[in-house]
Amino acid sequence: MKQAMSSRTTQGGEAGSGLPKAPAAGRLARRRGPFSRLSGAHKQQLAGWLFLTPAIAYVLFAFATPIVYNIALSFERDSLSTIGSIGAPWAGLSNYTTMFHDQIATSAIVHTLLFTVGSLAGQFIIGLSLALLFSNRFPGRTVARSLVIVPWLVPLIVTGVIFRFMFQQEGGAANQVLMDIGLIHSPIDWLGTTSYALLTVTLANIWLGVPFFTLLLYSALQEVPEEVKEAAMIDGANSWQRLRLVTIPMILPVIEITFILGFVFTVKVFDLVIGMTGGGPANATQLISTWSYTLGFQEFNFGEAAALNNVLLVAALVCAPLYLLLSRDQLRRSSGVGR
Amino acid sequence: MSRHHRKTAVRWLSTLVAFVAVALMLFPIYAIVVASFESTVTIFSTHFHFFPYHPTLANYKTVVLGTQSGPAASVTTNGNQLGHVLTSLEIALATALLTLVISVPAAYALAKYRMRVTVVFIGALLLAQIVPSIVLATSLFAVLLKVGMVNTLPGVILADCTYAVPFGILVLRAFLFALPNEVMHSARVDGASEWQTFRMIVLPLARSAIVTVAVFAFLAGWGDFIFALTTLNGASFEPITLGIYSFLGNYQANWGAVMAAGVVALVPAAVLLVIAQRYIATGLTAGAVKG
Repeated sequence: MKQAMSSRTTQGGEAGSGLPKAPAAGRLARRRGPFSRLSGAHKQQLAGWLFLTPAIAYVLFAFATPIVYNIALSFERDSLSTIGSIGAPWAGLSNYTTMFHDQIATSAIVHTLLFTVGSLAGQFIIGLSLALLFSNRFPGRTVARSLVIVPWLVPLIVTGVIFRFMFQQEGGAANQVLMDIGLIHSPIDWLGTTSYALLTVTLANIWLGVPFFTLLLYSALQEVPEEVKEAAMIDGANSWQRLRLVTIPMILPVIEITFILGFVFTVKVFDLVIGMTGGGPANATQLISTWSYTLGFQEFNFGEAAALNNVLLVAALVCAPLYLLLSRDQLRRSSGVGR
Repeated sequence: MSRHHRKTAVRWLSTLVAFVAVALMLFPIYAIVVASFESTVTIFSTHFHFFPYHPTLANYKTVVLGTQSGPAASVTTNGNQLGHVLTSLEIALATALLTLVISVPAAYALAKYRMRVTVVFIGALLLAQIVPSIVLATSLFAVLLKVGMVNTLPGVILADCTYAVPFGILVLRAFLFALPNEVMHSARVDGASEWQTFRMIVLPLARSAIVTVAVFAFLAGWGDFIFALTTLNGASFEPITLGIYSFLGNYQANWGAVMAAGVVALVPAAVLLVIAQRYIATGLTAGAVKG
């Protein structure tokens, strides 16, 4: 990955060639068209801005406005009648104090944490195992690798429905298998028992996230030079030692970015839980996202929903500095990007 | 055992392990496909059937013809999931199109024009990828309500593009950055305007990256549930994801219909996996953030 980037640095990008390019471009530009009086450099500036305008407008509309509005909402006393207009009664910090005294909200924060940590651990272990498996050459490898992607393509609400079906107490596949092999004697109510429900939802989320981890880690493993592994083998390292001391340190940057991206999209999972449990039983699988939805769109308590949303936003942004740091190649104009 | 034999054994063992792993990963899909052909009674019986038990097309009839009453039927104009599929297709295609219209020129500008705003904007896009959809959903609802776009197709499409626009710009920019500048330079020397250079030189060269982004945006629009749920809460139409939820929401969930609708919702993904697998794999490894 890194190698590919640095090799591109030399050929790609104007930045590498330094400033004095602009006047030359100006001389070569044809003197006609609506912007003919502009010099080449200015013309390019203008064109660049025009190309960028739709994106800037969209980001302002779909990201900046909602985030600012969400902050405003969290300090207001809003109802369905005032949500569309600015200037609802000021509520100070009351939405936040209500939220932190709301037992469902605080437990939703804990559930989100458990759900995220459990999901990432499971996805990483299974994903790395599969990635290592696919690094071997064996018959059917290409087909197997492409089929593993499938769970990622399933709409999340459908995943929720499938797992709700597979983990239903009567006639669910999970209980059937466990009973057939004699691990349990009576069916477990996976989604109806508060102690099992969160675990079951986490299992479903592990399933859908494995393709992402597998593919990213697999492509990182492809970059580990054969010689390095062979050298370790000659030095007498067994396969576990090779993995732990050679392979993992070499793919560590990719592992980091995979975890960060995995965190970002696990912390906001919504559809899956709505489809599987709707947050129940007795709010045992209520996550920040699902509870915020219930508060806002079912109880029309938009203020507290916005306060909870801001907690989620802060949680998601916790990893932002690390994410930006790992993506610094994208931010630095002069170096190549792409992976 | 000789070294050669050992290697062969490891290979076939890998095949076996991979086969088991893939079977486990695909089993949930298999389960829903089998269940979609069973009656709700069978689905709810005490026994899980690994193989088709009493296959019937009744669920698909319910889904396609809308013989079932309930919220789903009352909400849809034509009372069937076929309408849902068309709505989903419209949303997905429009999401893909709008994503491309916004991201391709922007990616080009960020990759090939020397602008002060570049670093700031890319940073903003990286952060935008992190923002949870529910955070956007609550206030986008308010924003859309204000501009009168709640319960409209354009409203939900604009919201759905939040999945794909940051991703699209970043992926396309990475791709365009790697294009040698000489290509554009010679077009300019030949007298092409900036727009002509973009349209006739850059677009064709970026085709594969554009397809990747389009596929990703299409799937995001097709699979979206949260924005449909929040912005279409009284519309005369709903996408298939919302239709599934409506079937679930009945007092007595019509599980057979839920399963069949779920399978229908899988079709585009399956088709794309077959015809555009390369692009999907690229999109996934390019740091796709879903949901």
